[in-house]
Amino acid sequence: MSISYTNAPVEVRDDIIAAHNRAWNRIARAGAWFDGKTRVAIAAETRHASKCALCSGRKEALSPYSIVGAHDGLGALPERLVEQVHRIVTDPGRLMRGWFDSLIARGTPDTEFVETVAVVATVVTIDTFCRAIGAPVHPLPTPKGGEPYHRRPKTAHQRGEAWVAMIHPKDLEGELDTEEERLLASYWAGVPVNIRRALSLVPEEAYEWFRLVEVQYLPGKAMRDFTNEYRAVTHAQIELIAGRVSVLNQCFY
Amino acid sequence: MLRASSNAKGESFDLSLIVGKPGDGNIPHGALLVAFAEAVLGVDNERLADTRSRIRITMGDAALVDAAAIVATFNAIDRVADATGIQLEEARAQATADVRAALGINAFAESRGEPVPTFLNV
Repeated sequence: MSISYTNAPVEVRDDIIAAHNRAWNRIARAGAWFDGKTRVAIAAETRHASKCALCSGRKEALSPYSIVGAHDGLGALPERLVEQVHRIVTDPGRLMRGWFDSLIARGTPDTEFVETVAVVATVVTIDTFCRAIGAPVHPLPTPKGGEPYHRRPKTAHQRGEAWVAMIHPKDLEGELDTEEERLLASYWAGVPVNIRRALSLVPEEAYEWFRLVEVQYLPGKAMRDFTNEYRAVTHAQIELIAGRVSVLNQCFY
Repeated sequence: MLRASSNAKGESFDLSLIVGKPGDGNIPHGALLVAFAEAVLGVDNERLADTRSRIRITMGDAALVDAAAIVATFNAIDRVADATGIQLEEARAQATADVRAALGINAFAESRGEPVPTFLNV
């Protein structure tokens, strides 16, 4: 399946179309820990979260963790996974360490937690883009066959820099066990900030997520090259938009 | 990054735009771009259609696409940061401590029940 912006009210850059197609098709394929059917179910639940009465109540509450109940889920995912997806979508600024720990205690492996974050982020970013330009959201992809490859990178460690284990660039020096780690090592080529490392417990997701980000935002070098402009909006305008969105999302990072 | 851009250009951007201060903040079309970001994240479709239209008229279609891509990126990347609980790197935190304190951004960490790193308490 390919997604198209042919009927969008404005012409969309070819690199954005290509990046969105790549990301959308990846949702349908088996990942490191989930098969395509589960990844598409996570995508569907991401879209459905805003219709959940429990999440609406929590969003309005001063103490969202005091509101208990069942989510209005689509029924394809276990409740702990629905809880993860819905909270990330509807109230990201008030996610807490205790919430993360509770999901792990309920049986979510940290690897699956990270892969879920990646799928949610992909759907949120592409749906937000569609809304922003005035285009309808794309139909979800049809799941493809195949099994997850179940490779946890030995290079990922918990160093207290995040709730999840992450890979540090120094861990990627020398011989590496997996193709995903080698890919990440060549891609990072330096000392990335924590946001680039955030998904690295599932290296493929860390790599693919930032491929998409660099198309929508700016490649790393262009980000700090203030002598040239790379988009139809300036560096200052880009960072103003980024800053305002992050404040609205109450994102401390 | 906004301050870095401001410093590099030798211009004085008003960073308080990101916390809702009105005006352009010395950034061309600053108020319009802020209104667009707010409209995309909001639920008022008429407001969104209006800001979208004003960007197309005053800045062009390519600017609308690029602005939309930035909103889309940060609406998701904020969730990656928050869901994985990544910490702010110490060097970056120190470099932005004054701005974070002035703009009230440290409150976001406190609302998550997490202490603001001591080097941010300026």
